[in-house]
Amino acid sequence: MATTITKTETLVGKRIRRKEDPRLITGTATYVDDIQMPGMHHACILRSPHGAARIRSINIKPAINQAGVVAVFIGKDIEAVGPVPCGASLPGLRVPAHSILAKDRVYYVGHPVAVAVATDRYIARDAIDLIEVDYEPLQAVSDPEKALEPGAPAVHPEWPDNTAFTFHQEGGEPEKAFKEAEVVVKQRITSQRLVPTSIETRGVVADYRSAEKNLTLYSSTQIPHLLRTLVAQMLGLAENRMRVITPEVGGGFGSKLNVYAEEALMGFVAMKIGKPVKWIESRRENFLCTIHGRGHVDYYEIAARRDGTVLGLRLKLIQDLGAYHQLLTPAIPTLSVLMMPGLYKFRNVIADIVGVFTNCVPTDAYRGAGRPEATHGIERMMDLLALELKMDPAELRLKNFPGKGEFPYLTATGLSYDSGDYAAPLKKALDMVDYHKLRNAQRDAKAKGRLMGIGISTYGEICAFGPSPATPAGGWESATVKIEPSGKVTVLTGTSPHGQGEETTFAQIAADELGVSMDDIIVLHGDTSIVQYGIGTFGSRSTAVGGPALYYALQDLKAKIKKFGEMLLESDDVTCSGGQCICNKTGKTIEFAQIAAASYRAMKLPPNTEPGLMATHFWEPPNFAFPFGAHIVVSEVDRDTGQVEIQRYVAVDDCVNIINPLLVDGQIHGGVAQGLGQALCEQAVYDENAQLITGELMDYALPKASTMPYIETGHTITPSPVNPLGVKGVGEAGTIGCSPAVVNSVVDALSHLGVRHIDMPLTSEKLWKLVRQGGQA
Amino acid sequence: MKVGGSYTLPLLRQRAHELLQDPAILARCMPGCEDLKKIGPDEYEMQMKVVVSAVQGLFAGKVRITDQKPPESFRLIVEGSGKVGFMKGDGLLTLVPATVTTGVSILGSEGTEVRYEGDVQVGGTLAGVGQRLLDSTAKMIIRKFFEKLAEAGAETEQAAIVP
Repeated sequence: MATTITKTETLVGKRIRRKEDPRLITGTATYVDDIQMPGMHHACILRSPHGAARIRSINIKPAINQAGVVAVFIGKDIEAVGPVPCGASLPGLRVPAHSILAKDRVYYVGHPVAVAVATDRYIARDAIDLIEVDYEPLQAVSDPEKALEPGAPAVHPEWPDNTAFTFHQEGGEPEKAFKEAEVVVKQRITSQRLVPTSIETRGVVADYRSAEKNLTLYSSTQIPHLLRTLVAQMLGLAENRMRVITPEVGGGFGSKLNVYAEEALMGFVAMKIGKPVKWIESRRENFLCTIHGRGHVDYYEIAARRDGTVLGLRLKLIQDLGAYHQLLTPAIPTLSVLMMPGLYKFRNVIADIVGVFTNCVPTDAYRGAGRPEATHGIERMMDLLALELKMDPAELRLKNFPGKGEFPYLTATGLSYDSGDYAAPLKKALDMVDYHKLRNAQRDAKAKGRLMGIGISTYGEICAFGPSPATPAGGWESATVKIEPSGKVTVLTGTSPHGQGEETTFAQIAADELGVSMDDIIVLHGDTSIVQYGIGTFGSRSTAVGGPALYYALQDLKAKIKKFGEMLLESDDVTCSGGQCICNKTGKTIEFAQIAAASYRAMKLPPNTEPGLMATHFWEPPNFAFPFGAHIVVSEVDRDTGQVEIQRYVAVDDCVNIINPLLVDGQIHGGVAQGLGQALCEQAVYDENAQLITGELMDYALPKASTMPYIETGHTITPSPVNPLGVKGVGEAGTIGCSPAVVNSVVDALSHLGVRHIDMPLTSEKLWKLVRQGGQA
Repeated sequence: MKVGGSYTLPLLRQRAHELLQDPAILARCMPGCEDLKKIGPDEYEMQMKVVVSAVQGLFAGKVRITDQKPPESFRLIVEGSGKVGFMKGDGLLTLVPATVTTGVSILGSEGTEVRYEGDVQVGGTLAGVGQRLLDSTAKMIIRKFFEKLAEAGAETEQAAIVP
């Protein structure tokens, strides 16, 4: 039966509540751990307690003899399974063989050593305690700078210098710039290791049907299609005999933009035992063996004139890689280098990255991936320069932006910033806080002994990954739109939303283009057997790359609808909009639902037209998109406790056209929460023996509701030529803009004590000591 | 993690040194010790239950004594591993004659100060989730050990004197 589809109001740009939310907030969504199957077994993984050790022997007998244990596999059993893939390539990159279970050596605490499979989750857990591993502990190293020292323990014995790669980038004439500079400011700045900590940990269910030779893998991932391609390769399976389903994903933040050992391991186990198998990562495992983020030690130098004009930038970047390369590990610091000039006109830059192996879990993409580190660095440096020149930090920034007329702006690192008006969001944020009045208030507060500070950061972000030549796995995205015979609309997106809300925003776009109600549209994703190939959700790309793919598919579909409309209305003067086609001569109308029914019934077809209403588009972006913005933080440090109170948080972002302001605000809020986490409290700490000593939520301080200030958001809109929707990404903006604004505000609060720089996290202990010791750390 | 401190036992130095190497006494005094066997000269096998924070488990390991300078000093090396991780300790114990200022001793005020200085390493779950309580737990275990040793010492002295 055809549904009546009526014209609706324009939905793009409206604050529309998410279609996803009812199932999430009522607890009825299906996550990997909710999947139950007849005959399902459970796996538990034994992990190394050592940062580095040789495995002398493994005795699995006591485990395998337990009732309910069906199998135990160790390194020698998985010889046929390919290595965990690294998708990044750099000249001279050293790639250690990364097998899914350790063979004769373990390289970090948490390294998988054996897997026990049992009829019950508890039996599997108990079984791993019975596996006897005889380790010969070796010297481990966890600090990337110590790992570079001569004589440091070698993480991989074949590479005693612990150097996985070096990478050099240069633009302009940096040496000349530094020679001619009137002032040079230097600072060592760290971006500490962070644990992404999604609320849902990772999890995998693997189901192998031997009769059909088909493997179905349910995984909590951001990249279902890439996962299928890569895991099929690891397992030696034909890709078309494998299906990846991504059910609800409870947060990823980049940590699920990866291919993990456990994903292939569960496929392997299911194929071996001929039964479905489930593995759910525990929280402690999540800390130990899901990728960490950041892990930078940066040595910055900037050259400038006394009037504040910036000239040159020099960066030595030490990236803590961990023991292995995960999917994108070595590529992350290269993003930092690309973005290191920030929004400023540094025409002369030089950067050297050293990627260092340590006996720690690998680092990889975590919300912002390389850009928060770069933004933190340059924004701290701009404040240090302002301090040195006794210039107002806002004035210094405004002085060094490229002008509105200079876009597309080619950076010294070779990027083409598509469009921008960088002064606009900063000026707007300054207005929102009433900057001059605020500075006066600060002077009064300081005169009374209060430690009040104002911190400014601006950020530019590289997002909307591709284009393809600049990305490891293809930078395009895909969409299919189908109008079913009943008139209902199904959108298939190659992205894999897991909190970003594309089920809502893509329905808004489709509803506007087709003139149908959002309720008649469903957006499907995350099933490789349903959705055409896609790249996935990361790098603030879903709306900015997946959105245009959808837009073009809708245009193709509309053209086809028009052809059917012309045929059915027997006229070549037909306008199709608002869910119907109208003959401009006779005024006769026909609804899309009727057209859809006719297109499938296919009694008669327009010339050169196939039956059905379906269109697919793969869209390749011509460039990245570069959103930007300015964040201002007003904070006060409690003299007696060292506690930072964020009194105001203003975020002005320019992500161009906003499809749903509610969701953009949500992304900014979530991003700021994670930025505050890094700035104030989070830190993954390994001790000198490479033991992770912040291994649970009691020891790893996540920001809580009480940490969150009220966030005042604002937007500017600078049109972008990159895509037809005029959209840029916003998923990472909050995180990127946040940490430098917070640290700048706290340093500003303590600057009269002689404090120039404080490394994150700004714990109350650290600040209390600084205040007590008159600024001396 | 570095550990260090001292405890004064109401025992003569020679006696304190003997007790510190007596498997039966050690097994009795070490908190959580469930078994301790001599397996060679200055080498023992041990089973010990360790509780740190929410983590507890049985550790199987070895205790070795090296650098013997009776009755002045010796080095104690402890290694153990279990389901919740592993631990390694290496410490120098120095025995110095001292005056007992508190408590009652049948010897009067003659006693021995045991100074210890060493390094404790833990790994696995024990390190990942117990670290923040490790320092205080180690101190507590050491204090309890010496308290029990003092008690045991007093009893054996009593037994020696009273026929």
